[in-house]
Amino acid sequence: MRINTSRFGRIDVDPADVLHFPSGLPGLEDCRDWALLADADNDALGWLQSVARGDVALAVVSPRRFVPDYQVRIPRSELTPLALSDMRQAQVVVVVGKTATGLTLNLKAPIVINLEARTGRQVVASGELPLQYELTNQRPPLKKSA
Amino acid sequence: MLVLSRQRDESIMIGDNIVVTIVDIRGDKVRLGINAPSEIPVHRQEVYEAIQRENMRAARLEPGDTQDIGKFAGRGNNGPARPPEGPRR
Repeated sequence: MRINTSRFGRIDVDPADVLHFPSGLPGLEDCRDWALLADADNDALGWLQSVARGDVALAVVSPRRFVPDYQVRIPRSELTPLALSDMRQAQVVVVVGKTATGLTLNLKAPIVINLEARTGRQVVASGELPLQYELTNQRPPLKKSA
Repeated sequence: MLVLSRQRDESIMIGDNIVVTIVDIRGDKVRLGINAPSEIPVHRQEVYEAIQRENMRAARLEPGDTQDIGKFAGRGNNGPARPPEGPRR
């Protein structure tokens, strides 16, 4: 399957690797199919590339590599649409953002992927978590969620 | 917008599979119970809209914006994705 992307040029993706997001993503509801690509320079970073829209891609990371005490509490109602009975079958990534001061991570709304079923969904995690967790060299400990 | 008045313990049906129930009313705060199929996400509107805005901002990032992200990463060789063609090393 060929995708003409604005960031990575023309890429070929195995249809079996494509992730289906039945609800798309908030703000990108029409983008239902995504390919998870590794960044060429950075093994800590991936890019969630929309199959339908070559100009749409989100930088994603495994949250624990950047926020070691990040514990996601996801309500079961958020996991059921993914056919996940527990989080051990899931891969969790968070979206990288950018503000005037630097790069941020969306810890409030992680993306949960069911690797076996090749489905995914952005969920709202319980507790007080930042939508824009600032990445700095001094990492403040994350408050425990309620 | 359809505006209905309900008292505590009364409900509203939306479509044929969503039920909203007034669970409690205390002062100016209403507690709502929502019964909906699990594939229909239900969120406080301001939370959903904040996530929408953040996604739309994040969707503008380019590889040049993230090239220094590695300096914030701890140890570990599990990146979030496998490369499209085989292992990296």
